Amino acid sequence: VSGPRDQAKRMPRSVAALLASALLLAPVAAGAYTAAGDRQFPATLILPQIAPTDEFYANFATQPDAAATPGAARRDTDLSLVYNKTITDRLGVQFDSDFTWRDRLAAPSTSGWQNLATTVKYLAVLDPAHEMLVSLGLGREWGDTGSVRVGASSIGATTGTVYLGKGLGDLDLGMLRPLAFATTVGYQVADRDPRPDLVQTGFVLEYSVPYLESKVRAFNLPDPVRAMTPMVETFVTTPAGAGRGVTSAVLGPGISYAGAGWEFGIEAMLPLTRAAGRGVGVTAQLHIALDYVFPESIGRPLLSPQ
Amino acid sequence: MPRRLGLMLAMAALLTALPLRAPAAASSAGLVVGVAGRCVAETGGVERPLKLGDPIAVGDTLVVPAAARLKLRLSAGSVISVASGTRLTITAYAAEAGHREARLSLAGGLLRAVVSAVAGPSRFEVDTATGTAAVRSTDWFVEAKPGSMQVGVLAGSVSLESRATGREVTIPARWGARLEAGRDPVPPRLWTPEEFANVISRTTLH
Repeated sequence: VSGPRDQAKRMPRSVAALLASALLLAPVAAGAYTAAGDRQFPATLILPQIAPTDEFYANFATQPDAAATPGAARRDTDLSLVYNKTITDRLGVQFDSDFTWRDRLAAPSTSGWQNLATTVKYLAVLDPAHEMLVSLGLGREWGDTGSVRVGASSIGATTGTVYLGKGLGDLDLGMLRPLAFATTVGYQVADRDPRPDLVQTGFVLEYSVPYLESKVRAFNLPDPVRAMTPMVETFVTTPAGAGRGVTSAVLGPGISYAGAGWEFGIEAMLPLTRAAGRGVGVTAQLHIALDYVFPESIGRPLLSPQ
Repeated sequence: MPRRLGLMLAMAALLTALPLRAPAAASSAGLVVGVAGRCVAETGGVERPLKLGDPIAVGDTLVVPAAARLKLRLSAGSVISVASGTRLTITAYAAEAGHREARLSLAGGLLRAVVSAVAGPSRFEVDTATGTAAVRSTDWFVEAKPGSMQVGVLAGSVSLESRATGREVTIPARWGARLEAGRDPVPPRLWTPEEFANVISRTTLH
């Protein structure tokens, strides 16, 4: 439902350092986020997640901006809290709430909630042999539920999205078999003018070291490396229709680290257009896989055949 | 005198512990509670057909050919359902006074183990050529194939350890994981209802 600026979830440097230290000390025990066969798709930090699941995650991001006029944003810092719940094995709903702190030029800082958002996702295709999945999503941003001070719109919007994840492990690519990609294409329809409709596209390329060690060749890499998945994401938001706004694009190179039932990811946020900010931002995310930690209670689908 | 008493106590303890040790080739591990097709037990090169109520002993290798199935109840209450095309050896088994030590060796094929809870220390392990799956009490599946194995868990949790790298993953209920020879375990993932339905149907004895 949100664009890259809204996805710019920020994190204080000290918290990032603490989490980084914690993951280096933690024992290596692989966990999972979303899977198609033996392929794990790690949680993305800028793109929306590609399949329904039971999880809770917190995303922090900070992005400098080019404030030119008094009162304009110099830096946005966001904390997102997201809860995903499966209804059935293939159908889930996501609840997303963001809090934004905004530093402004020649004006006091301000803060407030962004609009509430909910997304229903359905896993339409799951092809384990080809490490592929396709999901369909319908998201709703509830207008006028956030604070105008931090840019929340009083006008709601609805987004239809297609998500695709594909691993290359079924192809004869040797050491490139740990590669996988995921992509999303969405169309957001505003409830009314003047809010523009948006085309939202995202792409992530990732190289899974756990896949390398477990499926391709055991290099016996040291522990911190063994559970890492380097990845690079890009997310582009383009107004549908000329003169309705500007394109916003961000590139996020980073790393995901998987533990038993949790994942930690950290990425740089490089704005590719002026609308996406000025200067390098940082985003970090901690996922708790409720379906792993509480598989027989809150982590199971509400309607489960098992 | 206290020294003699200590010696006697030590001997008594040793004698008590002996049944827990492996070479008890003839010690009973359980009974056949279901059989379909011509299943056999091999012990010391001697083959005997299995029928309902037959005892199963440590050292027996159970051969369940294609189109056959076998169900065992072990002496501590655990139930093992063996799918067709499976070869399983009872390597070690002891269960008494709330303790349990079980080690099975799965050369190939699929089994379902509903492992009962016991009050005391418990080890219940299934070895394959590629790794070891260990549980305390749970309902789970383990399948061995040439060069790989996989575990699926219906209830409880199972640890799966690679024989080659020593790496281990914990698999909770509703999840499964694979292990390929010489490598780390593949990270666990949620099994689909279809995957569970497949292994349940293959191990169910009608």
